[in-house]
Amino acid sequence: MMSGKGHSATGSDRFEYLQTLVTEFQDTDSDEAKEQVLANLANFAYDPRNLENLRTLQVTDLFLDMLTEENENFVEFGIGGLCNLSMDRECRGQILQSEAIPLVTGCLSSRREETVLSAITTLMNLTTAASRSQTTDTAVLQCMLRFSISQSPRLRNLASVFLQDCCTEEQVARAEAQMQGHHPTALGIPLPKD
Amino acid sequence: MAGFTNSSCWSTPEVYKHHEQQKICPSRPKYREGRRPKAVKVYTINLESRYLMLQGVPAIGVMTELIELSALYGAVDEYRVLDEYPAEQFTEVYLVKFQKLTSARAAKRHMDEKSFFGGLLHVCYAPEYETVEDTRLKLQDRRRYVNTMTQNKAKEQEQDQGDEESKKPMSSYTVATTARTSSGDDQRSSDTSNKGETSSTSQGHYLGFPLLPLPPQEFLPYRHAPPYDRSYSYQANQCRTIPTEDKMGSLHNAINIKQQLAPSVSSVPSSSGGDRGIVKRLSKNPPPAAPPRFIPRTTHLENRKRKIVETNKDSLFGFVDKNETLIGPKLPDRPKMDMADESLNITANMIRNTLKKVASVPEVKPAEKKTKSAKPRRRI
Repeated sequence: MMSGKGHSATGSDRFEYLQTLVTEFQDTDSDEAKEQVLANLANFAYDPRNLENLRTLQVTDLFLDMLTEENENFVEFGIGGLCNLSMDRECRGQILQSEAIPLVTGCLSSRREETVLSAITTLMNLTTAASRSQTTDTAVLQCMLRFSISQSPRLRNLASVFLQDCCTEEQVARAEAQMQGHHPTALGIPLPKD
Repeated sequence: MAGFTNSSCWSTPEVYKHHEQQKICPSRPKYREGRRPKAVKVYTINLESRYLMLQGVPAIGVMTELIELSALYGAVDEYRVLDEYPAEQFTEVYLVKFQKLTSARAAKRHMDEKSFFGGLLHVCYAPEYETVEDTRLKLQDRRRYVNTMTQNKAKEQEQDQGDEESKKPMSSYTVATTARTSSGDDQRSSDTSNKGETSSTSQGHYLGFPLLPLPPQEFLPYRHAPPYDRSYSYQANQCRTIPTEDKMGSLHNAINIKQQLAPSVSSVPSSSGGDRGIVKRLSKNPPPAAPPRFIPRTTHLENRKRKIVETNKDSLFGFVDKNETLIGPKLPDRPKMDMADESLNITANMIRNTLKKVASVPEVKPAEKKTKSAKPRRRI
């Protein structure tokens, strides 16, 4: 049904496996291996049953560390993992404790659509009463406004959901006015390649 | 709001990067090797969608067949051929919108890379066809699902601890999110002496239902790795009604299980009749202790028929109990989905009850048919 036959194992086995992954990630010098392990961990974060183990292993911080890497794959997989983790309330708390919001909003400027999409979803998930002022800060809103008229339907849709569900209408109106006026921000506009 | 330009979701398609098949990764060490070669890719809810794009469909007028095949994995809302989408020669590209994300997931899992009328299908999610509302609902569903799963798990653990300390029923739990807890409590409070047996029987019976096709596993190469909460399902001497999620977080099997349980759990035994009921049922139906296996549908139906006949016998003897429509060991309450809103919950309950009624009809039919088919024979 859920597990392969003959592989009798329990939660602790899964924990050990995840721990092995984290250890390999920390020990290896190969970027290729790192990418693979990172993708593995991010995918494990999709399954709610792994969340507790991943929290214990502090994988949140591992993912957050990736957001400032040069390697774009690292960033994409890291924010993908955070996007998956942040669906859960407790993980959300752990992420917010690590001062994650600036790191996540930084990903909005990525050239990769997948990275930007994960960042928007993560921001939505991270929006709580306490963090709202940070996640829906003017720069973020202006960025979402730009995304909401993007060519890409996925980006457009997700940004629209963000603006409609995470922000008040006044906030959006204010951001729109500021965008036309004197306080435009450049958040979410990727730098030209080289 | 926000200058959103609503282009039709069926407008001219573009080729997106996520449609491309990525290269598989050949360089994984053994312990990280999955059953199927996979690319290095991270799946998030953003990549998934109830819209699927089916490429490589031979252009020989097999649309009906294609949609029929798709519908095996869940109700299809809409479909159309994507004429404008670049396709290989003599093939067509189709867009199929499923009613549920879980169906799309299952369809992708089973149809991708499979041959179809001589062509090789390439199936991918097409989230760019979603509307804003589609996207919103997709995210909400996902959040709710993760929430329910983690809450269930937390309760399981609490219960485990509770079991060790005392066996008093934990009535303080709300039934809202998990029927697993409530059913466990029912069993424990009503039937402490029989506990071990009851659980094994109910589990056995529960597992005796025909299993659904294996859940899709899109990205996790660690199929051999066991689910985390497996130990609980065995230790906690109760059967699992917790929706088992596949590797993509799908509940499609859980939903189906619920529907299958529906006919048998048509009425929940009250705690007053509980003890007797369980003992009786135990003696009547020895637990099928076999591990979960695929059971052909016909066998399953025959079993069902036999069980109906058995209960009918009982009723002839006068053992009619209103709560006793149950056959076999007591099953736990079906997991009740919390719709996070009271009125939605009420509606869901009404739908559930109607489904129950509808689902119980085919159980009666075979018996009726029998008597009908017997008559003409006599005439001849």
